[in-house]
Amino acid sequence: MLPPRHRQAMRHPTHRPLWLGLLMLLLVVFGPSAHAIPAYARQTGSACADCHAGAYGPQLTPYGMRFKLNGYTDTDGKGTKIPLAAQLTETHTAPARGDSTTRLTEGDLYLAGRLTDNVGGYVKVEADHTGHNTYNTKLSNVDLRFVAKELKLRGKDLILGVSVNNSPGFQDPIAALPNAALIGPAGVTGSLLNPSSPNTLTDRVIGATVYGLYDNNWYGEAGTYRSLPTSQQDHFGYNVAGDPGKLGNTGYARFAYMKDMKYQFFSAGVVALTTQRQLPRSGPHDDLTDLGYDLTYQYLGNREHIVQVSYVNILEQRHYGARLLGPQGQLAQNRAAIHDQTASVSYTFRQTYGVMVTHMLSSGPHDAVRYTPYGDPNATTNLFTVFWAPFGKDDSYTTIANVKLSANWFRFTRFNGRANDIFAAPPGSRKTNASDLNAFSVTASLAF
Amino acid sequence: MTDSFLSRFGRPLAVLGLLVGWLLASPLVIAGDVTAGADVFKAECAECHAAKEGRNKKGPSLFGVVGRKAGSIADYDYSDAVRNSGWTWTPEQLHTYLSQPAKQANPGTKMKYDGLTNAKDLDDLLSYLGSLH
Repeated sequence: MLPPRHRQAMRHPTHRPLWLGLLMLLLVVFGPSAHAIPAYARQTGSACADCHAGAYGPQLTPYGMRFKLNGYTDTDGKGTKIPLAAQLTETHTAPARGDSTTRLTEGDLYLAGRLTDNVGGYVKVEADHTGHNTYNTKLSNVDLRFVAKELKLRGKDLILGVSVNNSPGFQDPIAALPNAALIGPAGVTGSLLNPSSPNTLTDRVIGATVYGLYDNNWYGEAGTYRSLPTSQQDHFGYNVAGDPGKLGNTGYARFAYMKDMKYQFFSAGVVALTTQRQLPRSGPHDDLTDLGYDLTYQYLGNREHIVQVSYVNILEQRHYGARLLGPQGQLAQNRAAIHDQTASVSYTFRQTYGVMVTHMLSSGPHDAVRYTPYGDPNATTNLFTVFWAPFGKDDSYTTIANVKLSANWFRFTRFNGRANDIFAAPPGSRKTNASDLNAFSVTASLAF
Repeated sequence: MTDSFLSRFGRPLAVLGLLVGWLLASPLVIAGDVTAGADVFKAECAECHAAKEGRNKKGPSLFGVVGRKAGSIADYDYSDAVRNSGWTWTPEQLHTYLSQPAKQANPGTKMKYDGLTNAKDLDDLLSYLGSLH
């Protein structure tokens, strides 16, 4: 018999139906998207392609990373610019199973730019199509900064800043961490740092971090987060079913070496996020600690051919506060280590044409109670993207607006640890294979 | 015949010789490759400077920079250090300025640049800048 505290904490696992897999798909393919912001181009006089490898983004060049580190405050000095921009996205989606659709899927408003030489920010308000000609408006990514530039420490350059943001990792300059890259492995389990995890922290927390860049190469950051009350999440446009839970004793730390060699860029970093999470909020708390590392290499050359390779591996160590009971009375493990891994390669020609391949793996230990129906949480996904971004360069017809056409193929090769019959369909009912979650989409985006 | 050749070609040859001598004696013969210089510009300069006339970024347009008085673009907000430098952007001045950290060459400048130490790249870049007219 279990000790009383464990009996009190016993819960039955939540069964994960078909829609969860589809939701994962939607989160990744149509999840938060941030791109080159024309308001920044107007503020700096720069072209979108100065900060982004592809002229529409999102991958940052070393110059774009510095702009972010400088708190979005760099300017061409020609007076105050209105820090507003907008984006419209029309998408044709052809899922492997289900009807094809063509819709205005997203409308975004950005409040982005400098307030003073030391204060700037990025705020995105997003309206997503939710069917039947209705849109849900939500507060998406937020990153408000105070920065002290032009400092010196032992004769070397130093930048010190504070970021108030709502997604751990979104504020990272290197843009390799899942919240900064705006993509993470889909699956039934996932780390705190992954925007595609169930009950993700992304956009549903608020935190402050202090960061510094020393000698242009050494980046360090530390801070803390807390989750927004469910009423606030609802107010900001989020379904409370996705509540990340109540967070306590949360700490975030990041350290990276980044080397800009003008023609090439290299970075290697580590990241940590630890918290005690109560999910549901009235339940026992889980001790969760993410430990990750990331590597990024960019060949920039004369910007004619840009190649980027990046890899992120996040380990999440879990000590569950609840002892889950299976239907046959078996107990779930109370400790686990899960991994989120993302590897991506991209090539951009003249910052106009690009191709990107991303391989993602979400993995965890076998647990028959937590991960029904097979006890296997492993999921493998790929995203293949080709794009055309005709504007946003110095010699473009316009540098204050931008367009991107892209074709995306999102592919599941494994879900719930299986390629076939991933939800263990009862005899006689239609089976769902991992490939049934695949989707092809063509997207047209306009930013101005 | 020799006298005739000298009388006919002597003066042009002398002028050519003087020109060659001046070019060889000059510490800054712009022998760089303009095309290669355009690549150097894209990697080293283009994020902050445009080559297009009238287009200022974080730094001023470099169209027509060679021969221009420092701090002279009317609608660009220069630092006092540049505006009061009294420099003219001759190839020699540009070579001196760009071959070392900007804040060392011109304390007080807003420009953040560590300098271009590769001699060929610098020659190529100066040739390219000289072509921006």
